[in-house]
Amino acid sequence: MEAGDLELRNLTYGLFVELGRAPAAAEVGARAGRAADEVTASWHRLHDAHALVLNPATAELRMANPFSAVLTAFRVRTRERWWYGNCAWDAFGILAALDEDGRIETSCADCGEPIAVEVADGKPDDESLLFHCLVPARTWWADIVFT
Amino acid sequence: MNLFRSEEHVRAWLGEREPGATIPVAKLSELAFAWWDTRVAPDWRPRTRDENQAILDRLGLTGPFWQLPG
Repeated sequence: MEAGDLELRNLTYGLFVELGRAPAAAEVGARAGRAADEVTASWHRLHDAHALVLNPATAELRMANPFSAVLTAFRVRTRERWWYGNCAWDAFGILAALDEDGRIETSCADCGEPIAVEVADGKPDDESLLFHCLVPARTWWADIVFT
Repeated sequence: MNLFRSEEHVRAWLGEREPGATIPVAKLSELAFAWWDTRVAPDWRPRTRDENQAILDRLGLTGPFWQLPG
C-alpha cells in the first residue's frame, strides 16, 4: 500500500468517526488538500487491497470495516450515537475500534427474536448467545458483502 | 456472520447448508477486540496475513475453517 493511499485511508476513517457517517470523496479531499477524483482513485486502490469497500455502482464508501456506510441489522449504540456494523463480528468491532462500552442490537438470524447485548470492557452481558460464521476464512473476501 | 439464541437456532437456520463455525459470543467479542482495536488509529497500517492468522490462532480459532488464504 502506497504511503499516500495509507494517509487517505486513515483520514477517511478519522472522518467517518468524526462525522458519524461515511464521508464523501470531496470531504476527504477537502481535508487532505486533494481533488475528489484523486481520493476516488485512491479509494479504488484501497478497495482492491481490502482496506475499505466501495459500492460498485457509485464508487462511494460501502464499508470502512467494521463500520457500515448503510443501515444494517447490526446497530451499535455508543455514548453519543448509533453506528451500523456489517455483521455481528463488526458490531463488536465498532466498540473495539472506538474503545467504548456500548449496546449491540440485532435479532436471531433464525427466528427474528430481538437480541440486545450490553458490552462493557469488551465483555458481553449475555454469554448464552452464539455466533455462526458460514464462510471459511480463506474465502471471506471473495464476496465480502455476503460474508 | 450472525448471532443466534441457541445451537438449535443455528441448526434451523442452516437447514441443508454446510455448517461453518459456531463460537460463543464471548469468544466473538474477544476476536473483535483483538481484530479491530487499532482500526481508527491515525497511524494504522495494514497487518500482514501472518499477523492476522496469529490473532485467530491465539484465540484457539484453528483448523482449516479459520485458515486465511496464503
